[in-house]
Amino acid sequence: MSDTNREIQELMADYAGALRDGCIPVFLKSLTREESKRIASSREFWDATEMVRTLNSVGFADKAVRPDVSLFISRVDAKIVSRSKKSRASSPPPSRGLSSHPRKRAKTQRRRKTTIQDRKRD
Amino acid sequence: MNRRLRNALKGLMDPDIKRRRRAMEPFVRATFENFIRYLYRYLGNEVECEDVLEDVYADIWENAEHLRNVTNERELLRTVYLYYMRKRLREVYRRINRHLYLSQEDLKNLIAPDLGVLEILSQSELRQTLSQTLSRLKARERRAIELWMEGMSNRAIANELKTTVGAVKMLKFRTLLKLKNMLHNYYTED
Repeated sequence: MSDTNREIQELMADYAGALRDGCIPVFLKSLTREESKRIASSREFWDATEMVRTLNSVGFADKAVRPDVSLFISRVDAKIVSRSKKSRASSPPPSRGLSSHPRKRAKTQRRRKTTIQDRKRD
Repeated sequence: MNRRLRNALKGLMDPDIKRRRRAMEPFVRATFENFIRYLYRYLGNEVECEDVLEDVYADIWENAEHLRNVTNERELLRTVYLYYMRKRLREVYRRINRHLYLSQEDLKNLIAPDLGVLEILSQSELRQTLSQTLSRLKARERRAIELWMEGMSNRAIANELKTTVGAVKMLKFRTLLKLKNMLHNYYTED
């Protein structure tokens, strides 16, 4: 069986290409078990990734298409609103005394009834 | 740090939710460019950068305590990366993780690594140092990196340098390591 696993410099070139083209998942999915082990044990690979990220930032981050800030702010605002709604929904409602809770009210009513009956018996 | 950003940061610390929400707009306006460029370094994809940044801002709105003692923009970027961005970056590819051979720890290190010397420098500092360092490389090494940064494929670089694709990959790998060492020495000497 032929060895189809990529060498560390080939893995580096493919990672750099994937980062430049914005398709990291494709690179991640392409890794075989053997290649993953090779990456994990290679100090040089990790050193080179730091440099690749730096070059990516200097060379390509400025060329990337930026969204309109105002539109983006409205997205952030919508996210904040949805989060605050979620947190409000998950937090318990403010207590309004025992009588407001249906279950507790039933219990107290039942208790009151018994006390009236008891009084009659007395 | 400019006055607008400082005021926005102060607003984010306010216990009142409405005031915090009002402070978000100037904060986003003041930091958006820097943050999205920084995220691009790790993702290389505009759409994912926007999605991550949206969550990062919402996280900051929920709890901005980590930014309380920030005094300058570099520190702000560093703190935001360590406490807000990194967590979100790690979640980006979590869904595909179960189908990967790469371990969880290696995936974390690849997508959202610890901050190295080069990763806390500002864009202008990086550009300046990189151009100085590139000029100290051999002509062939420099050319390979420059062509790659112009967006050329390995095959196109190989054609340009009149060599094979395999040789280009090896040349790039060696040059990246050399560049890393040169930049690292430059900053640790300083």
